[in-house]
Amino acid sequence: MTTATSTKLPPSTHEFADIIHRLEAGGAMLPDTPENLMQIIGIYKAYAVPMDFYWRDLLYIAEEVFLEPFNFFKYFLPKEYLELHNHYAGDDADLRIWRGEATAHPELLAFMEKGELNQKIPRLFHHWLHDRVNMEFAEACMRAMYWHGRDMGWGKFDAYLDSDEYKANADVAIKAYFKGNPVMLGLYKLFPEMFLEQVRQLSYYSNLGLFWEVMAPVFFEMSDLYDEGKLTTVPEAMNFLVNGIFAIAGRPIYHHAHIRGEVYEIIPKSKGFTWLYEAALPYVEAVFYRTAPFRGTKSYNAQAKQVPDEQKDFHYGILYADVFPVGTAGIPPTLLMQDMLHFLPPYLVDYYRQYCRGEDDMLIQLGITFQRSMYCVTSAVIQALRTALLYPLDDPNPKHLMANRRFFESQLDRFKRPESRIREIQSQDYR
Amino acid sequence: MPDIVDIAVSNDSFKTLVAAVQAANLVETLKSPGPFTVFAPTDAAFAKLPPGTIQTLLQNIPQLARILTYHVVPGKLMQADLAKVKSVTSVEGSPISIDCSDGFEVKNATVVMADVEADNGVIHVIDNVILMG
Repeated sequence: MTTATSTKLPPSTHEFADIIHRLEAGGAMLPDTPENLMQIIGIYKAYAVPMDFYWRDLLYIAEEVFLEPFNFFKYFLPKEYLELHNHYAGDDADLRIWRGEATAHPELLAFMEKGELNQKIPRLFHHWLHDRVNMEFAEACMRAMYWHGRDMGWGKFDAYLDSDEYKANADVAIKAYFKGNPVMLGLYKLFPEMFLEQVRQLSYYSNLGLFWEVMAPVFFEMSDLYDEGKLTTVPEAMNFLVNGIFAIAGRPIYHHAHIRGEVYEIIPKSKGFTWLYEAALPYVEAVFYRTAPFRGTKSYNAQAKQVPDEQKDFHYGILYADVFPVGTAGIPPTLLMQDMLHFLPPYLVDYYRQYCRGEDDMLIQLGITFQRSMYCVTSAVIQALRTALLYPLDDPNPKHLMANRRFFESQLDRFKRPESRIREIQSQDYR
Repeated sequence: MPDIVDIAVSNDSFKTLVAAVQAANLVETLKSPGPFTVFAPTDAAFAKLPPGTIQTLLQNIPQLARILTYHVVPGKLMQADLAKVKSVTSVEGSPISIDCSDGFEVKNATVVMADVEADNGVIHVIDNVILMG
């Protein structure tokens, strides 16, 4: 034990050296304070309930709505998809993460029935009155993955969408779906790529649905463990996420279409696509880091050069977002913030009441909490990648520790740009 | 000479690996003439993976097979051959980095026993399960 200190590295000279040292000690990018822990866990819970709707509806659209040209009712989840068993919750789980039930969360069902209006009126009226889960947010995330997919190094999913095998699988499903519909079949003959591109997008619906099917029970379980006093620090919360990432890393990512009682395997499970490589890592890159410039904060004017030429330079994800204008026009995350507002645990509502404008600006306060919590998730992803590809934090070999440091430094280089919120989240005054 | 599978089966420290190779239906492949270079994680290496990882993979055979084929490289490459290259391409398709500058390291694993020759290739025993990326 006497040599333990001699193998430690000299301090980092990186701009975020403090954060790098914290990561090297097994911590998160977020400081370990009880206030941070309370915020991130509370918001995981508020996020998991709409997420329970998102993943079910994403799979419903990918599998059942499929190429319906008039998909007016794609957000109207049928009973079977509300009762669909989550593979990671309930008694018959493949690997039980949440100890709760496998069917839709009771708070979600209650909200779908009565909504904000607190009235039992037909679902169509809730929808028209905009008293509903903002599923458009989930679709925006899906589209970010779809659009950035080709540009990202992670995973083999997107490359497969261009293969002849995929095209042949999609062709069979398209023809089966429009069987007996000469108009659509004729259009397909004239413009095959148009239909194929829609199927590719549907494959991303399935991809994201399968990704979130895992995250919802992970967040529910973290909330329950916190309530039971079993999660007491930010690193513990992060490590729960790291273990969750590994446990589910190998779950298959696939796309099946259900057409008139038949299952069409557009992306079969046998392709070997995995949750970690084909869904989780591309999701983090596309949604946490990149997404697309907010219409309300950036000009798309080509002469103004506000939007980068290269997709890899996009920096409009939650880790960079300015949350202050949430609730105003042209700020897409507003949709999610509004969704989470309905499911906040009471302790978080009490907390927001004490600060800033109390209940009046709760949407912004919870947005900033959400940003903090996503820094915790990103920390978990960084630690998971370090575990998978590099060395343990207590590795006795200094060369290995140096490799870990270089990895952490390269990850934090991405937060050097002024838009990043990593500096702000170090302090509780940012709310 | 015994082949790659025979060697693994006859050795007590590859119980998890052998079970995984059998579950993934890769026995026939690894018994074929090849030749192959196999980076074989010990039971202790598998035990380092967080709980649930193996369970999920055993439930999903194509995904398990993908991880296992990442540990296999076409051709018979001895330590001396690998010392000359920076990386090799696995059967899975992703690259594996090799570092022989100071000992013998494969990605983030250390080779604990090199050049175990088999009828249809060579085995290098490693102390970590290696992962793509």
